[in-house]
Amino acid sequence: MRKFVFAKLVLVAFGLTALVGTPLAMVAAHEGHKMECNKTNINAMNADIQAMKDGEDKTTAMKEMQMAQDMMAKQDMKGCMAHMHDAMEATEK
Amino acid sequence: MRSRRRWFFVALAVGTLLAAIVAASLVRMGSFNVAADTPHSQPVFWLMNTVRERSIAVRAASVAVPSDLTDSKRIASGAGQYAAMCSSCHLAPGMKRTEIARGLYPRAPELRRGSDLSPAEEFWVVKHGLKMTGMPAWGVTHDDEMLWDVVAFLQKLPELSADEYQALVKSAPAHDDMMQDMEMGKREAHGDH
Repeated sequence: MRKFVFAKLVLVAFGLTALVGTPLAMVAAHEGHKMECNKTNINAMNADIQAMKDGEDKTTAMKEMQMAQDMMAKQDMKGCMAHMHDAMEATEK
Repeated sequence: MRSRRRWFFVALAVGTLLAAIVAASLVRMGSFNVAADTPHSQPVFWLMNTVRERSIAVRAASVAVPSDLTDSKRIASGAGQYAAMCSSCHLAPGMKRTEIARGLYPRAPELRRGSDLSPAEEFWVVKHGLKMTGMPAWGVTHDDEMLWDVVAFLQKLPELSADEYQALVKSAPAHDDMMQDMEMGKREAHGDH
């Protein structure tokens, strides 16, 4: 019975670690990409895009940034972040 | 006919005066945002870029390019200089964007991706720097030969992997030693550009 309680406690501990750890890991993964959707980051992305050579990647990045800004205007921060991420990927190609 | 011409010149003078007053007021009001974290509007960006490109092209037209830009010694020396002077802004193969590269405006071009400039134009930019970009005039502290070494390396840079770049930098003479040689006059100096 004691063993069973201990095993249950270990499982609960693992579960809690996973619950708390997953979002933290995601934040760390995106830290380099500065995913937060705010004016400073949008300006920084636009400056990066301006510096890109003309081509398909630049067009994609510009479109994604336009969509990110539209989403931000609609207060859809998740959508904004997703488009900013796509724009960033295009700038890094 | 005469009075028409006179009116034309009066209107032109008044128009010019008004434009000057409006421009002076905009300057006085601080309308133009000089903050580096706010990009130019597209027309201003285009104008600044075009002014810069034309200025470089015209001034670099008279620069004579040495014939030994593919010389491996030059390239290795340029790699060392590049690592010491340029990589913090222009980055290098295998290098993540630095804090300074992220904050500069206009962004310093990532030269590992290649450049649209000719070797003569690159030399001119490295030597004289660029106003309002953060690009310093390396010609103030370095002789032409050292700067041509950097240009020679720039021709090679886009082909290099991270490992090849590191190996090249390691094979380069130390930057301080080169500066010392330059100051002692041990390096040959070619004509002034």
